[in-house]
Amino acid sequence: MNLNKRYPSYMAAGAFVLFAVLVFFPGILGIFYSFTNWNSYSSDIRFVGMKNYAKAFSNTEGYTGYIINTLLFTLFTTLLKTILGILLALLFNGTWVRGNHVHRMIIFSPQVMSYLIVGLVFKSLLNPSHGFVNVFLKWCGLGFLAQSWLSKPGLAFASVVLVDTWKGVGYIMMVVLAGLQVISTSYYEAASMDGASFWQQTRYITMPLLAPVLINVTVLNLTYGFRVFDIIYSLTHGGPGHATEVLNTAVYAEFAKGNYAMGTALSSILFVFVMSISYFLLKAMDVKEEADENA
Amino acid sequence: MKRVILKATGILVLAAMLTGCGTTAATDTAATSAAAAENATSAVAAATSQAAEAASTAEAAKKSNVTITFGTHQSGLPTSGVVQDLAADFEKETGIKVDFQVTPDDQWRDLLKTKLDSGEAYDIMCVDADPLSLVSRINPEQNCVDLSDQEWVSRMDPLVLPDVTVNGKVYGVQFPGTRISACVYNKDIYQKLGLSVPKTYKDFKANCQKILDSGITPMYEGCQNGWHQVLPVFETGSYYSLLYDNLYEKLNKNEMHITDIKEMKEILEEMKECADAGYFGQDFLSQTVEGGVDAFGTGEAAMMYQSMDFIDQVEEAYPDMKGKMGIFCLPWADNQSVSVNPTNNAYFINKNSKYIDECKQFLNFLARPENLQKRLDGGGITSVCWPEIPSKERPEVQEYMKSLPQGLVMQVGVSYIDPQWMDVGKDIDAMYSGTMTPDEVFQNIEKRRNEQAELQNDPAWAK
Repeated sequence: MNLNKRYPSYMAAGAFVLFAVLVFFPGILGIFYSFTNWNSYSSDIRFVGMKNYAKAFSNTEGYTGYIINTLLFTLFTTLLKTILGILLALLFNGTWVRGNHVHRMIIFSPQVMSYLIVGLVFKSLLNPSHGFVNVFLKWCGLGFLAQSWLSKPGLAFASVVLVDTWKGVGYIMMVVLAGLQVISTSYYEAASMDGASFWQQTRYITMPLLAPVLINVTVLNLTYGFRVFDIIYSLTHGGPGHATEVLNTAVYAEFAKGNYAMGTALSSILFVFVMSISYFLLKAMDVKEEADENA
Repeated sequence: MKRVILKATGILVLAAMLTGCGTTAATDTAATSAAAAENATSAVAAATSQAAEAASTAEAAKKSNVTITFGTHQSGLPTSGVVQDLAADFEKETGIKVDFQVTPDDQWRDLLKTKLDSGEAYDIMCVDADPLSLVSRINPEQNCVDLSDQEWVSRMDPLVLPDVTVNGKVYGVQFPGTRISACVYNKDIYQKLGLSVPKTYKDFKANCQKILDSGITPMYEGCQNGWHQVLPVFETGSYYSLLYDNLYEKLNKNEMHITDIKEMKEILEEMKECADAGYFGQDFLSQTVEGGVDAFGTGEAAMMYQSMDFIDQVEEAYPDMKGKMGIFCLPWADNQSVSVNPTNNAYFINKNSKYIDECKQFLNFLARPENLQKRLDGGGITSVCWPEIPSKERPEVQEYMKSLPQGLVMQVGVSYIDPQWMDVGKDIDAMYSGTMTPDEVFQNIEKRRNEQAELQNDPAWAK
């Protein structure tokens, strides 16, 4: 079989048409609608220029707070999931922990649960008066640590971040584990013979060889973080007040109000964020790969 | 040849996909409550003439294995489960199963609108129905089945028909009757602490402090549902109406603004003051309205602002509480008037349902006199909006209503109030948690009204 054979370019037409009709045009249409007054009450759609965007970035509407929340959520969940994911993967990659597979399975298992279920379960666990967490803390004599986890603005945000990390860290661990297992053991054997410690091996062998995996993991975490909705909606519904409101909960609320144009404007802002970050990260990955090839 | 076939296939696939992409036309909303009320009468007349025909529908129902979905919010069904019991009876009779899909109160309105927009709504929808907001909430002309020809239409209270009528057509059936809310208090606690019923906010605050000092939560509040904390702001409408002439009319004509009602801002400030003083307890932001029954029954809380069926619920769960509960007008901003709410939730059939006939059968079944009585006896309500069934309103409640001037709650009389109810609830939560001020909450109410009016091209705002 000739693997180098190039197919004519029209063979990509089907895929291109599907991509254009299902992804590209709706996206462009959404951006177009964000410059109108499109809503559920009138079929008369008028061009309103940058009005919706001006509103989104004005200080009086609260959307800037939602944008900041989205960025903070993305930043914290990405950092926590990546760092914990790497640590857990390193821990369960070696032979020093008994029952590795069982541990991996347990840590990965929240990933298969729906965000809605996780939200509802944690809402119950974190209830200040009869939730398991506070009851347990009081039972241990640590009652002073019992908190209104989802009712205090700062704490609610931290709780949402931690619950999301709990759910997603297993997946990151598995991806990193897969990356670790393709690293040839000969590198480690050679390093051991040269007297390299575990941390030196991790720093000079594991981390550089894991870099492409980590960039992928970061892209996944970032794009998920920007698009977050389910876990926040089910856990706090954006509350208390608007303390955990993010861009997508605002988009949902605008659509529910019938203000479709504002919803599409906020979605477009999100789209630009996700596209920009993903582009730069993937570009960075290409540069790294090219540098590796040249080395 | 292969190229030709490939190109032809590509063109066909593209054409098929483009054909599938339709546009959804948004509909205009122009129905006014006055027109709805007028047209409701004609709908009753039409219904009466076809009563006999429709009455036989239930009898003619065949046993089937159909399951109809019934979408509702938590508060849409009485906690006693009487509607589910009636559905079980209905299933025994017809073989049609009703699958209740209950959504938390704070998510219901957004969820239902999204489902309607995406064409995935339930077969039957339980919706808060009032003439001012019904069209913006579910747009019945576009989404619901016209039920004007059903036998029960002529039996429902004519005063309620405007709540479920648009342009002369009846789209829904309502069961609960007129309701009022008041502050329910524990007489034993009041007596033990030597307290008397407060008539001013100052007295109320003094009572709360004494109750708090005795180790009891003065006032039970449940913010988790998203709507309860909003009641004081808009259900003091009768008081605002007493203070400002033709208030509701002027607000609807945009001749007055919400921000002109300084007592509303005063109430928000008082609510914040009470929350900060600990009168609502420590965890009120995480508490649910339903939890009030236990808090009241166990004596953990001394007062709760609730509708009158709350007394029945407490007595049923805690028989010792029988006769130990009284009511008074909660004197926010020194209010001494009763706000009456004639509207309630109603059931509507989805126009796109595959089982429209089965849904109609279920509504006909619920509207039978014996089932109306069962619904009333089942708790959760103190009256039904069906004149043939006598009310079970307590004598003390009737007396209370007579003792004070009455008026309409704001959400029923003023446009663009009810659609923003849950948003105001979130703002109040933010106020309680210190991220918004009472004034910001107050200003936001006016701002949202203006936004909604602008979206709906309200002529009163076009001036």
